[in-house]
Amino acid sequence: MTDTPGATPTNNSSSLPLGPTPRFVTRTFDVPGIDRIEVYRANGGYEALAKALKQFEPDALVDEVKKSGLRGRGGAGFATGVKWSFLPKDNPKPRYLCVNADESEPGTFKDRMIMEVSPHLLVEGTIITSYATKVHRAFIYIRGELPVAEQQVSRAVREAYDAGLLGKNILGSGYDLDITVHRGAGAYICGEESALLESLEGRRGFPRLKPPFPAVVGLYGSPTVINNVETVSTVPAVVTYGAEVYATYGTEKSKGTRIYCLSGHVERPGNYELPMGTPLRTLIEDYGGGVRGGRKIKAIIPGGSSTPLLKPSQIDTPLDHESIAAAGSSLGSAGVVVLDDQTCIVGAVLRMTEFYRDESCGKCTPCREGTFWLVQLLERLEEGHGKESDIPLLADICDNMYGRCFCPLGDGATLPITSSIKLFYDEYLHHIRAHGCLVGPRARGVAVGAAS
Amino acid sequence: MTGEELEARLREIVAGYPSARSAMLPCLHLVQREHGYITPEGILAVAEAIGVKPDEVESIVTFYSMYTQEPKGRYVIKVCTSISCYLRGCDDVMAHLEQRLGVRKGETTSDGRFTLEAAECLAACGMAPALQVNGHFFENATTERASGLVDYLANGGDPEAISSAWQPTSDGRGMATVSAIGAKSEQPATGSADGHAKIQQNGAHEQ
Amino acid sequence: MGEQQDLVTVTIDGREISVPPGTLVWEAARRLGIEIPIYCYHPKMDPLGACRMCFVEVKGMPKPMTACTTTVMPNMVVSTDSPMVKKSRRGTLEFLLINHPLDCPICDKGGECDLQDFTLRYGPGASRFDLSKRHFPKPVPVSENILLDRERCISCQRCVRFCQDVAMEDGLVLLERGYKTEVGVEVDAPFDSIFSGNVVEMCPVGALTARSYRFVTRPWELKRTGSVCGQCSVGCNVLVDVRVNRLLRQYGRTNDSIDEGFLCDRGRWHTDPVNSAERLRTPLIRKNGKLEPATWDEALQLVGRQLRETVSQHGTASVGGIGSTHTTNEEAYLFQKLLRAGLGTNNVDHYHGRFPTVERNGLPWVWTDSIAGLEKARVIVLLGTDTYHRQPIIDLRIRRAIRKGTRVYVVTPEPARLDRLSVGTIRYTSGQTGTVARALLSTILGEQLTRGDFAANHAESVEALRASLVGTDLDALARTAGADAEALRALAREFATADGAVLLYDEMATREPTGATLPQDVLHLAQLTGNFGRPGAGAGPLMEDNNSLGARDMGLLPDQLPGYLPLADGAALGKAWGMEIPQAAGKDYDAMLGGGVRALYVMGADPARHATPEQLAHLEALDFLVVQDLFLTETAKRATVVLPVVAYTEKDGTFTNTERAVQVVRKAMQELPETRPDWQVLTSVANALGMDWRYRSPAEILAEIARVVPLYAGVSRRGLGMQGARWPFRTAEAGADGKAPLVGSPCLTWDMVEHGVANSAGGAEPALPRGYGEQS
Repeated sequence: MTDTPGATPTNNSSSLPLGPTPRFVTRTFDVPGIDRIEVYRANGGYEALAKALKQFEPDALVDEVKKSGLRGRGGAGFATGVKWSFLPKDNPKPRYLCVNADESEPGTFKDRMIMEVSPHLLVEGTIITSYATKVHRAFIYIRGELPVAEQQVSRAVREAYDAGLLGKNILGSGYDLDITVHRGAGAYICGEESALLESLEGRRGFPRLKPPFPAVVGLYGSPTVINNVETVSTVPAVVTYGAEVYATYGTEKSKGTRIYCLSGHVERPGNYELPMGTPLRTLIEDYGGGVRGGRKIKAIIPGGSSTPLLKPSQIDTPLDHESIAAAGSSLGSAGVVVLDDQTCIVGAVLRMTEFYRDESCGKCTPCREGTFWLVQLLERLEEGHGKESDIPLLADICDNMYGRCFCPLGDGATLPITSSIKLFYDEYLHHIRAHGCLVGPRARGVAVGAAS
Repeated sequence: MTGEELEARLREIVAGYPSARSAMLPCLHLVQREHGYITPEGILAVAEAIGVKPDEVESIVTFYSMYTQEPKGRYVIKVCTSISCYLRGCDDVMAHLEQRLGVRKGETTSDGRFTLEAAECLAACGMAPALQVNGHFFENATTERASGLVDYLANGGDPEAISSAWQPTSDGRGMATVSAIGAKSEQPATGSADGHAKIQQNGAHEQ
Repeated sequence: MGEQQDLVTVTIDGREISVPPGTLVWEAARRLGIEIPIYCYHPKMDPLGACRMCFVEVKGMPKPMTACTTTVMPNMVVSTDSPMVKKSRRGTLEFLLINHPLDCPICDKGGECDLQDFTLRYGPGASRFDLSKRHFPKPVPVSENILLDRERCISCQRCVRFCQDVAMEDGLVLLERGYKTEVGVEVDAPFDSIFSGNVVEMCPVGALTARSYRFVTRPWELKRTGSVCGQCSVGCNVLVDVRVNRLLRQYGRTNDSIDEGFLCDRGRWHTDPVNSAERLRTPLIRKNGKLEPATWDEALQLVGRQLRETVSQHGTASVGGIGSTHTTNEEAYLFQKLLRAGLGTNNVDHYHGRFPTVERNGLPWVWTDSIAGLEKARVIVLLGTDTYHRQPIIDLRIRRAIRKGTRVYVVTPEPARLDRLSVGTIRYTSGQTGTVARALLSTILGEQLTRGDFAANHAESVEALRASLVGTDLDALARTAGADAEALRALAREFATADGAVLLYDEMATREPTGATLPQDVLHLAQLTGNFGRPGAGAGPLMEDNNSLGARDMGLLPDQLPGYLPLADGAALGKAWGMEIPQAAGKDYDAMLGGGVRALYVMGADPARHATPEQLAHLEALDFLVVQDLFLTETAKRATVVLPVVAYTEKDGTFTNTERAVQVVRKAMQELPETRPDWQVLTSVANALGMDWRYRSPAEILAEIARVVPLYAGVSRRGLGMQGARWPFRTAEAGADGKAPLVGSPCLTWDMVEHGVANSAGGAEPALPRGYGEQS
């Protein structure tokens, strides 16, 4: 939380070095064949790497990234440079970098795009990140269900080896790095960083106890950096343009740009790279073309399905960590999902909850059993067989899960439910009293007001 | 691949990791690709290559949803059923495919050609509803286009050839993808992102 | 206990406690006697944090913390019963119960079920779950002995972590994930581990049940007695669970220095010898060539008369006795006393390995290190012994050592279960164990791999050793043994240079043709390489039976008195017994079976089973054979008189395990009618021989042992407490009166060896407390 939520970009557009909406990450994404190394290099690719190796000592690079204000793009939004600096200085074990390419948060599809469209950007970012953190072995853990992304990144890695950008003595700098592309096999939980490490070690994707944190005891018990694809892919731009230019964009505490994944009931869904702090309205109306069919917004999920819903009146909230937090939700993975007024909220929440039930790893009791119970209750409500006691019961189950689960998955599962009960209590009640939906194809009966 | 070639390939994968056990998922991917599903022999081969007990491999196989211990159809059609696809009608697509293929989700057609499955969010929310055929994306699906897809596959079409491709959005300020089949009849009643889609005619046989 | 400087002080429920840094809040609370409910946590496994049952509130933390994963911090203030804690625990229990079937009334676990108990103490009064529970077919067998009910499973992972992490055997694994998570087995990896029963005991609910125990009883109908398992020489601490005088199972009774709370399936479920319908229920006397039931009076009088007559007609050398490796120390002691004091003969022995010269401390007849010490070893060599089958819980301890990085070599004629986890296996021709040991020894001497000052201080014996190896070398010996010479050479080098190496062999390997010098050679191996005198280094035999070592310690030997006293030094003992002990060595086992005696007294042994045809003929030609046993053994079938005795669960006494821990055995059930404990029978026989024995209890016999056997000086039933003590022991306080707890030693030290037992108290090694009086 901040005293001045970054409601406005820190600079006005006239003084912005790269114009109002620069694309730090997706600048060259519409260049045909950008997935090929020659095209990528012809468009300035791997120049950031050359600059990093030539002009920066690793520690200076860490400082540069710290200065840029870059924060993790996976969901938690932790400062990237600070995360890197948590690596112990005196640990004799090898260090590892794991790029988290296990994108699977419902409503999020930016990492897949980066990998499929411009895999060399990811490879370049991985090399620079590895150099900065003094890592000589990096893994890119790609979600199993994204075979095209895996093929693209694997090919980019091969091309980079062939071009002397990977392996021994990269670009004559004396720096060595090997990258292994690793494919997951279907488990949302492996996006949680310690579960990713377990999975990479060939085990069930169960999250690990923390502390110790991966920076200290990570892969094979060694110090390990874990960064999201978009985060790593932003690093070359920080090097190219410098931390200062990068930090010109965005808000005071949420710097730079962000790839917003816009989906749901909008005319033009897609990935839009915009400065942090861009209002939801701008994204939805100017870029997304507004709500599909000219309907009204019913609710907005601002950061992937594990974030609380926002109501239509919050559409002017700027999309940065602090402002969204102040609005009662979280920027998460920046997966913005728009629900129009014909959406049955119970049905939508049920669908999101089914996801968590199916993707719960089963390690801890509240998540394993709680999601199972929540789905059954929501099913009953959606089908019109619910009882009035079900609503407080749902809320209490969520209360017994939130903050009680082993990892954030279980917490995340409760957020759509608790926030929707708060915002749409009457609609829940309608399902019970009218034995059916308020809106949508299964709408039944007239609207029922809240009790009392 | 002969048994020996498979073993050699597994050993090669294992050698690529600092710790043998890390090769678990890649080895299982390989035996699944080779055998069509994870067979008991496949489990033993992976256990042997990695140097773990077979029961540990079994535990892994059942944890990860992409591994299957039963044979599947030639074309595995996965329909994403998560929130963004749900909002844009994936349930209709699924219902249509169930009816069209005569199976329920999770089942394989009796001729062994199609397996229909539900999938968790496939990172295609901007192009919802999304389908995957043998790993290749087919996005902005509608019931009609899904039907066209089944026809295309039923006639031996290559799923890779019709896979979606990333394109700039109509305003050139964002990126989304388009699929290249069966869209000709339909300009989105539901409003899809493919206003700019170049529709490749690729031999799909519409009925 | 070391220095107390670094303790961390925390407050739990308003009470302060100081504990070492790194202690879990759960453990700190336990020490205060505060129960924090757990399912996934097990003190012998790493914290998991999965079940979310052990919530506590830590001051300053917004969310409840799991006590099993939170370590104490200075000045931490913990509450275990705040409203937040209560609601969180209630929530977890409600979650666990939504899919748990309501079959408590027919569940074997009911009454000792943690889910039942914690629900009562911390749970919701009623469930708000009114939907459909998950269902599985039930129960399904997961092994020959164990059934799985997945509906009852709460996915705490104790069983799968035991199988995978502790036992490191094929067994139970987690299958599927999320709400579909289940425990199961892989078809190609059968759950046939000898450690399997531990998962039944660990299971906090009734998901895993033992076939032999299903629907047999309710826990509250059990009579539970803390005792010691009699199945092998490990001596695991057990709770003997008896219902209506029937042995149903043994449960773990944690002794950290021996079993860590684990049992093997033999110990847990092998109830046959006790419950068997074949047990003898009355004395038998041979009449007209047939064994006929008789009264105790008749039988005892006959035994007394026959033995007296044999002695008076043919002299004391014409009678002898073969004692037992199963009976208690007290009974073994009385047996040899009966022979020596009652019949005046040293013709007494038992079935055992060959150990040529035995010193007063038992060397080389005793393992110089301990079971717990195995965890400190860098290298463990198993020579001619398959611990998995013979001493399973030692095998389990070796597995723990392996997890800690210990390198294990399995050197055996046949494949062993530990092969898979070993760093090297060496196979040799059966019967060549002694040759293998000499091959290792020749490498140590040939390559100057000795360490420490043993060689310098014992120049003579080292010279003799060298001389005995002249004319041969490792390659020749390896050829003879049929073993890989290079592997043996590498092993010898590693053994000699490792920072702590242990070599264990099977007692019975000394009976092989090459085994005559095996004990001394192996001891030399350890001594010459400096692997002696500290935990994690050493050598020794693993014993055959539950009281094999005790039988020897108690003097079931023709040439040594109790405590390995030479016959020549028996004056004091003779005086205590009120007689003069003959100086001449008696006949040993083979001599007695080879026609050396006319009357033979066999207690708890079955020489006919191991006998050659000639020995069998001699057995049958005896004038008089008395057999004291539970069963009509092959030997008993040839007896003149058979005396029925009780099982180890039916009497009191002490056993001495393979690491020479002396532990108390307690009577857990009534003896069968008309059977008597061996010590009572021996007392009656002695009195029939005209002695005046008045032992009223094994404790009295033990008191006599402590008085007259220097090796066991200071031992008392009370001092041994619930968990016994490992020799050399001393009492915790000066002026021991037999009531103070005994303190055992972690391993033999030079001091103990050089200066004898009496001076061993306060030796170089700090004594380890053995948890006196604790019963888990």
